Amino acid sequence: MTTTTSTVRLNWGTRYEVTVLDLGLACCGVEVMAALHGPGATAPEPVSADAPEVAHVLVVSGTVTDVMLPAVVASYEAMPSPKYVLSVGACSNTGGPYWDSYCVTKGIDQMLPVDVAVPGCPPRPEALLDGLRALHRQVTS
Amino acid sequence: MTESTSPTTPATEQSATPLVFPSAADRGVEPLPPRTRGVIALLEANCTVCMICARECPDWCIHIDSHTETVQPEGAARARQQNVLDRFAIDYGQCLYCGICVEVCPFDALHWAPEHDYPGTGEHAVAELVHERADLGKWVEQVPPPPPLDAAAEAAPEAAPGRPGRGAPGTATRPGALSGRTRRPGG
Amino acid sequence: MTAASGELAARMVDLLPSCATRSAFAQSIVAVPLADWVTAARLARDELGCTLFDWLGAEDAGRPGAVGERHTVLLHVVDPSTRDGLLLRTEIGADEELPSVVPVWAGASWHEREAAEMFGLALAGSRPAHLLLSETFSGHPLRKDFVLASRVVRPWPGALEPGESTAAPSRRRLAPPGVPDPSWGPRREEDPS
Repeated sequence: MTTTTSTVRLNWGTRYEVTVLDLGLACCGVEVMAALHGPGATAPEPVSADAPEVAHVLVVSGTVTDVMLPAVVASYEAMPSPKYVLSVGACSNTGGPYWDSYCVTKGIDQMLPVDVAVPGCPPRPEALLDGLRALHRQVTS
Repeated sequence: MTESTSPTTPATEQSATPLVFPSAADRGVEPLPPRTRGVIALLEANCTVCMICARECPDWCIHIDSHTETVQPEGAARARQQNVLDRFAIDYGQCLYCGICVEVCPFDALHWAPEHDYPGTGEHAVAELVHERADLGKWVEQVPPPPPLDAAAEAAPEAAPGRPGRGAPGTATRPGALSGRTRRPGG
Repeated sequence: MTAASGELAARMVDLLPSCATRSAFAQSIVAVPLADWVTAARLARDELGCTLFDWLGAEDAGRPGAVGERHTVLLHVVDPSTRDGLLLRTEIGADEELPSVVPVWAGASWHEREAAEMFGLALAGSRPAHLLLSETFSGHPLRKDFVLASRVVRPWPGALEPGESTAAPSRRRLAPPGVPDPSWGPRREEDPS
């Protein structure tokens, strides 16, 4: 007897199942929470607290301040490869409305390689899911 | 593991069935209202390069380059200077979607459109979020029509029959209420 | 709750005659001379029952033409039983030290350190210098004369006139708020050769 559908964890890592670590640094974090934990039958299952070691996608959502930057980079480095970075919102793309601040990093792409940048201030949850879809297309192509 | 509704194909199938993310209808969310601030579209025909949007943008994310040309319209007494748009770019990686540029444009060249699916991807993901003239012109197709006028409001002067009310101005095809009754020459 | 209540302000002036009250928009501020700052704090806690420390903040004292020379320090404390607040105010000059109210309310320590770091106030008693800013940060960001360097370095797209392009800009006539004139900032070393 064979099953026709199953959830399989493949050696290719992120093709069909992704573990997402969301760094909710500011307002965009709320929209990411709405997207990942919002209503709907297919809300993803939260994983355990030692998240960076099992996550493949790092979602940076919110303003990255200069004093928070080492923590973001440490989370990225604790992730196993292959790893992808999704930058959500204007603040983590380019510094956003706080680009001229004395303590804000002008975009997380100054330190980490960003694979998908979702525009918005904040982006709708649907826009974030579009970004994850674009990441999936990029990874599987 | 519980069976999920999104199809996950076994390892033997190379062509991937795309992951199914629940649509707005599936998630029980209404479709987006027409005034949703998704993206800003540029109606280039209306832009006179007055630079007001670039100056009012709080984030400095509108970049405009232009040059001046002298045109001689037929039948006009003298030539006039005209601004020609070379570059109009909005950096959506910086944009805070405040709408000040849309509100302040005196010629209605900028409009909101409810589109939200335009992430930047690839090696220069953030740089891809700078939308140039061509991209901004493409978004014009997504701009919804303006909302209908309030049914309980007074009719517009253009539509109202007969002369306008006390002291009301005229339109292009119909004189105003004070036309011919003042001492000013021509009216 | 009545923040900055007039009644508590009047009682404070009765206890400490060197203070004066000023009221506006249903709020009263008690102006305390710097030398009596800690005394006023103790009286507020012990005699007026304001045992709850709410916040301590600083701002530029706002003399026209004299930006950044004197700073105002504000202290708001609350009586928990009536939930009325008392707002105390003092002024500190560039060479003066702010006496600490930490012996009265220990929670004031964070607020005093933040005010000192952001405005460059001198604090009585030694405490670690950096609370919120990174170790390599220089300057006091919330002072009025602090220039945001990013706004100087980045060219403003609105500086172009209609009909100009970035390839050939004419002399800049407009500048957005917060951008000082071109003489601000370190000069680049001239090439000696």
